[in-house]
Amino acid sequence: MNLPSIGQIPSDVVAAWIFTIIVGIVLLVWLTKLKKWPVVFEYMRTTHHRKIGTMYILFAIIFFFRAGMDAMLIRTQLAVPKNDFWVFQGDKYNEVFTTHGTIMIFFVAMPLLIGLMNVAVPLQIGANDLAFPYLNAISFWFFLAGGLIFNMSFFMNSAPNAGWTAYAPLSTDTYTPGPNINYYILGLQVSGLGTIFTAINMIVTVIRLRAPGLKLSKMPLFPWSTLVTSSLILVAFPVLTIALVLLMFDRFYGTSFFTGEIGSPVYWQHLFWIFGHPEVYILILPAFGVFSDVISNFSRKKVYGYTSMVIALALIGLLGFMVWAHHMFTVGMGPLANSVFAITTMLIAIPTGVKVFNWLFTMRGGVIRMKTPMLFALGFIPTFVMGGVTGVMLAVAAADYQYHDSYFVVAHFHYTMVGGTILGAFAGIYYWYPKMTGKVLDDKLGRWHFWLFLIGFHLTFLPQHFAGLNGMPRRVYTYTWADNVFIFNAISTVGAYLMGISMLFVIWNLYKTHRYGKKADGDPWDGRTLDWSVASPAPEHPFNPMPKVKRMDEFWYRKVNNKGLEYADDPRPSPISVETYQPIILAGVMIALSIAFIYLWVWLQVILGAGVLSFLVIRSLTDERRQAYREEERS
Amino acid sequence: MKKLLPLLTLILLSGCSLRTLNPVSNSAEKITDLIYLSFAIMMLVLAVVFILFALFIRKYKERPETSDKIPKEKKENKLLEVTWTVIPIILIAILAVPTVKATYDITSTISGPDDGVSKEAVVVKVKAEQFRWEFTYENGKQTMDELVLPKDQKVTLRLSSNDVIHSFWVPRLAGKMDVRPNKENRLSFVPQVTGTFQGKCAEFCGAGHANMRFETKVVTQEKFEDWLASE
Repeated sequence: MNLPSIGQIPSDVVAAWIFTIIVGIVLLVWLTKLKKWPVVFEYMRTTHHRKIGTMYILFAIIFFFRAGMDAMLIRTQLAVPKNDFWVFQGDKYNEVFTTHGTIMIFFVAMPLLIGLMNVAVPLQIGANDLAFPYLNAISFWFFLAGGLIFNMSFFMNSAPNAGWTAYAPLSTDTYTPGPNINYYILGLQVSGLGTIFTAINMIVTVIRLRAPGLKLSKMPLFPWSTLVTSSLILVAFPVLTIALVLLMFDRFYGTSFFTGEIGSPVYWQHLFWIFGHPEVYILILPAFGVFSDVISNFSRKKVYGYTSMVIALALIGLLGFMVWAHHMFTVGMGPLANSVFAITTMLIAIPTGVKVFNWLFTMRGGVIRMKTPMLFALGFIPTFVMGGVTGVMLAVAAADYQYHDSYFVVAHFHYTMVGGTILGAFAGIYYWYPKMTGKVLDDKLGRWHFWLFLIGFHLTFLPQHFAGLNGMPRRVYTYTWADNVFIFNAISTVGAYLMGISMLFVIWNLYKTHRYGKKADGDPWDGRTLDWSVASPAPEHPFNPMPKVKRMDEFWYRKVNNKGLEYADDPRPSPISVETYQPIILAGVMIALSIAFIYLWVWLQVILGAGVLSFLVIRSLTDERRQAYREEERS
Repeated sequence: MKKLLPLLTLILLSGCSLRTLNPVSNSAEKITDLIYLSFAIMMLVLAVVFILFALFIRKYKERPETSDKIPKEKKENKLLEVTWTVIPIILIAILAVPTVKATYDITSTISGPDDGVSKEAVVVKVKAEQFRWEFTYENGKQTMDELVLPKDQKVTLRLSSNDVIHSFWVPRLAGKMDVRPNKENRLSFVPQVTGTFQGKCAEFCGAGHANMRFETKVVTQEKFEDWLASE
């Protein structure tokens, strides 16, 4: 047993402990005072897609603030040359950028999008819930368990410190002996399981549970992007699982997959990016789906070039698997491999360009209503295209020898991930907020949020291109006056604070909306798709009777012609939702099991592992549909 | 449009002095040309998108008189759709050809069989370890965190690491090359200007990564020979 040592704990960890304890106490008092505990318990045992989606988004936003704090610390440390801010030099700085990256990708971007899918996809295709509600609850609690395991590391003063890419051999026990990287491995492993389950759930839901008449060729683009994304997850995430298992074996049991004479650290890079590159498309495609629906809705026009939009989604997904080695141009693969991966990477620009022009031409001839979700969609187009063009520049393999691992790359992926995924998630949250909570977020505060965020974003990341071109490598905690990158970094820091301030408007908006906001009706945006035909917030089993669909945007055309929806006589049976504490308990056991692995407590591993396995056996033998069938037969 | 403004001012302010755009070797020069080419093509794309974007928003923004209007649905214009598929393909083809050529030009000299190292080249063994650089010359002379190279003569660096992966980067002289344990990578170029240039580790390698720097001095060939012979 090697307990984490207490003593000589750095002041930032102490501060985090104090802060968390105070917030925890305030939260407990507040919940008790407002008598909200029944709501908390209701959400803890729910399997309903809207509630689970809301929880995904809620925790993603909490993690967003957490990893955003990391970003603030990074930018403060880098504000001036030779800075000595608080404790964030050397290894501490490495921890901060590692947790920033990992949390933003796995515990912010992923759950934001999966949360939106949970809320919107069933409603958009006329499904009463996801195909496997119980599995959905497991997915969510596994995501949260993964997030908690990962974040626990900081409080134990052993945050992961090898970058979110955890390149071997730095991430093997020879060079990072503490429990730090173990937290990374187990946190991602547990949440990754949840993600794979979600992918299965989404695929089955979209394939099997569409409303009568809603053919795939008439389906809105957000469910389409969900379908493509889920297929990508199903292929890519198991690769991450395997890579993490191999790394775990290298660290725990002395295998040498990534070190020594036979193993090679480059194997890790290949495995990581075979997962990692599809992952960035997993993050961007759902955002594309949100934008397609939002732009079409707020331009009062059906989306331009629907067929080419779907083909582009599929092509991007497919090409996404053939480009991973462009992250490794400088590793020494030789000119042939570098050229091939350069060209496949450039090819992705073509379907992406088709999508951009289709969005532009959706707006052409329409009536563009400048509501908050649309603002985010409009902010996305130029921002993302800027990230896209630097992407093509990076694909030029020879030129990448200069860009690689410099701030140019940092700027590029923030332009695509923030400019695409995060703006998309914000657009989606403002858009579907009434469906989640029954209230429309305040438009004026939404505008403040949008403009401060967008201006702050460009101020932060545009100068980083130039810092990179001037030779600033990424993941450095300091630079000199002679490096001549001070001005870029100073502007960048100002921008980062502006983004930070913009997020305070989100909190203000949430408070104002729930304190003073009026109840929204079912169709606050004059919507086009089936999700706007049901009440806000979406009730359980909303499609009763089940609508019949004859064409795309059926709800809109019926509305324009002053007709109600037609209903089907004999719809498909709906998924059966249950109320159960089992998923949250299983997730709790997974956390304990992970801690047993992180600190190598073998006996605990055996006991808890046996517990999880027996749970899986019992669960495979239960079928909650049986009771429902029996009741049906009786009646 | 307002996003272009800071971009332009920044370019005017500092674009001309950025290290990677001021190459002092043959291979870095090739890379700089490629950067400019790809930047030009991409600015063209960016301009088209930005102009359409601004135009459409100005023209079709909701106004009091259009707030109840339901726009007419039109069929897609096939010609337009073909245009914005084919033109990007052409642009990418224009970019891909020099990319492949430059990649072969620069990379083929980077790694390869032992006999790939030409006889005239100055060969320097580069050993990287957390967190320093050690340079060994053919006559056995060793330096730490200081690399001295002759002007106008081909240099071949044989890079390898004692521990984790590092990356050798002298922005004005050459693009990066990873420095790996248990495998040698090569990097060749011809320095064309004398002077002192910063070198850095570009692959995150641990606590001291930010300070894993070295200096590269390019001197005339006579001075180089003198330096090499001295203790």
